[in-house]
Amino acid sequence: MSRACKSPVAARDAAPTPLAVQQVLPFAEAIPFAKPLSLSPTPVRRLWFCVWLPHLPLEAGRSSDDATAIVEEQQGVHRVLLADAQARAAGVMAGQSANAALALLPTLQLQERSLLREQQALETLAAWLERFSSFVCIADRDVLLLEIAGSLRLFQGLRALRESISKGLRQHGFDASLAIAPTPLGATWLARAGRRACIREPQNLKGALRSLPLAGLHWPEGLGASLTGMGITTVGDCLRLPREGFVRRFGAEYMLELDRALGHLPDPRNSWRAPERFCADHEMTQEQSDRELLLNICRELLFSHERFLLARQLGTQRLCFSFFHLKGSATELRLGCARAERSAERWLELLRIRFDQLVLPESVIAVRLRSGMTQALQAESASLSFYGTADGQPRSYSIAQLAERLMARIGDQAVHSMMMVAEHRPQYAWRAQSLLSDWASSTFAEVRRHLRRPLWMLPEPAVLPADSNFRLLDGPERLETGWWDEDGISRDYYTAVNPAGMRLWVFRNRNRSSPWYLHGYFG
Amino acid sequence: MPSPLDKLLENPRVWRGSRQAQRKAGLATGYSELDRHLPGGGWPTGALTEILTEKYGIGELRLLMPALARLSAEDAQPDHGEPRWIAWVAPPFQPYAPALQQFGLDLSRMLIVRPKEAGEVLWSAEQALSSGTCAAVLFWPEMLDGQASRRLQLAAEKGHSWAIAFRPMIARRQPSAAALRLELHPEGTWHPEGTWHPEGTSYSSGQGTRVHILKSRGGRPTVLNILL
Repeated sequence: MSRACKSPVAARDAAPTPLAVQQVLPFAEAIPFAKPLSLSPTPVRRLWFCVWLPHLPLEAGRSSDDATAIVEEQQGVHRVLLADAQARAAGVMAGQSANAALALLPTLQLQERSLLREQQALETLAAWLERFSSFVCIADRDVLLLEIAGSLRLFQGLRALRESISKGLRQHGFDASLAIAPTPLGATWLARAGRRACIREPQNLKGALRSLPLAGLHWPEGLGASLTGMGITTVGDCLRLPREGFVRRFGAEYMLELDRALGHLPDPRNSWRAPERFCADHEMTQEQSDRELLLNICRELLFSHERFLLARQLGTQRLCFSFFHLKGSATELRLGCARAERSAERWLELLRIRFDQLVLPESVIAVRLRSGMTQALQAESASLSFYGTADGQPRSYSIAQLAERLMARIGDQAVHSMMMVAEHRPQYAWRAQSLLSDWASSTFAEVRRHLRRPLWMLPEPAVLPADSNFRLLDGPERLETGWWDEDGISRDYYTAVNPAGMRLWVFRNRNRSSPWYLHGYFG
Repeated sequence: MPSPLDKLLENPRVWRGSRQAQRKAGLATGYSELDRHLPGGGWPTGALTEILTEKYGIGELRLLMPALARLSAEDAQPDHGEPRWIAWVAPPFQPYAPALQQFGLDLSRMLIVRPKEAGEVLWSAEQALSSGTCAAVLFWPEMLDGQASRRLQLAAEKGHSWAIAFRPMIARRQPSAAALRLELHPEGTWHPEGTWHPEGTSYSSGQGTRVHILKSRGGRPTVLNILL
């Protein structure tokens, strides 16, 4: 049984990973009720808390206390994207080239912008913010949204909640601009404009948004320029324009965006959830070095790991065991699996192989098991027993399990499959395929029957000594060009036999002075 | 009163040809001459086969290709469960995919294993054999003593898999538990007087390979010439 947990995700609100469980909240207040038979006199009211992190690239990428600037490549030139206070004091500004910035401040640390690190920092913050609300949403590359209407009472009011969030953000080392509004888009716009706004009532929202400059809306530059050209610089100016004309000129999507910000239209968001991981310790009363006992403890941990995953219909591809010693750092043992797996027996099998090779420098006082990123488990279907297997002999395990066992002992790179590539140059006509990636590989490339191809291929063509003795049997087959990847060839291939009776696949470059090369054996 | 001969024959250490278990049909080699000389009319599957050669490139793989192609195609039948693979453990060079495809092998079910240490070659081969997921396991061990060959023979029986060990010629003196041991020699000496004759040459210019059956469980040692 496999569980689908994907919900439609708007491109702009794309969740950070497809693994995160998502849920969608309806935006109840904007739905016009024709005086419904509602028990509560007021519809459910939502309040959105927006955290905008304008200096996220700097805060996420910073590695030292020295003056730092984040650079990004723009049209082939590295330009400063953000500079910290020390660098700004020295005159470093956004938009400067990296060289200009270094000239101003030679001790400046230049850091390449890393979107990955920003995403990770954002996810760490989102996970932390989950303590304030059950609904956290990563709305943009630098925007987090919390729905806080349900949290106000627990955290003793809006002011206290706001205080604790902003204090926590400062402690995490993030400089954030905060805003509260009844709509998610409205809160985002207010935060981006740097207004420390706190709007609780929907009727006050329009007034607050009206004065916002259009620059903070992240509308396309062309649109912004033409609006400015018409003398329209704020949201309020836009709202005064006739709707039909605005839609006709600039497209409906911007008008809809305004409607969403004002709460005239629903604006459902996807909730973000920190991926669940398993982490359990087993502590012993005294140090142990009996390996059998340690293996038993690992077994216990694997079974509780299995129960944890089973309850959530999850599996994991990575596990890490840590063996703690009283002195010195812990010994770690990492295990990997070709497919997401939860069965304790399977993990135990892999663990046994690796555990034999593990060197424990000292006796062990505690064992910890941490699971890697969990993912929805793709359950496999077992075949019905009446099909049986060849010779009535039950297959003990599948090829995936065999590959995992081999990889666990001799390394991931040492085990592979292969596939054909449609390519005339012999060395590129095939490639190794990892067994960890997609299993079903279909090969459409086919080599023609009449071409002589050796069963053994040398990793690199070997120069044959000038006095080597062989007789050419078949050829030449001319294989040429490959200018598109700067590894062009121009070779004449022959089949040859040497006095020892070995069949060789030899070639000579087209210029006649070229030595003979050996490229394979007809095994 | 049993005769002394009967008494002797009761000794479990005496092996008698007639007690040979019912012959299992072998896997046709694709070379009719070789089939005739092998018990069961083909390669012994579920057992260890040893191939002794001095050099590579004298047809040691071509000898196996028809049978491997059959294994590769046969197992695609639906009632065999999961189709079985062909494993190559520690090959001396890269098995070249286009040539394998020309011989009719299914490339998507090739497992190439390259252990770094000598001891891991035998371990990997044993794993692949006993897993039951590989129809054939070809391996190139540095060392294979009698005990190890016995283990691999048992693993091949357990997994119904065909084990093929490639070994150097000096190994012929060592005892082995293999069901079949073959020695390959290139046939036909060649005088290096000619350089290159573009006309009148063909790929298999009358060159054969001498196959020497050293040991064959339930068969007889013999020497034959096969055109590979």
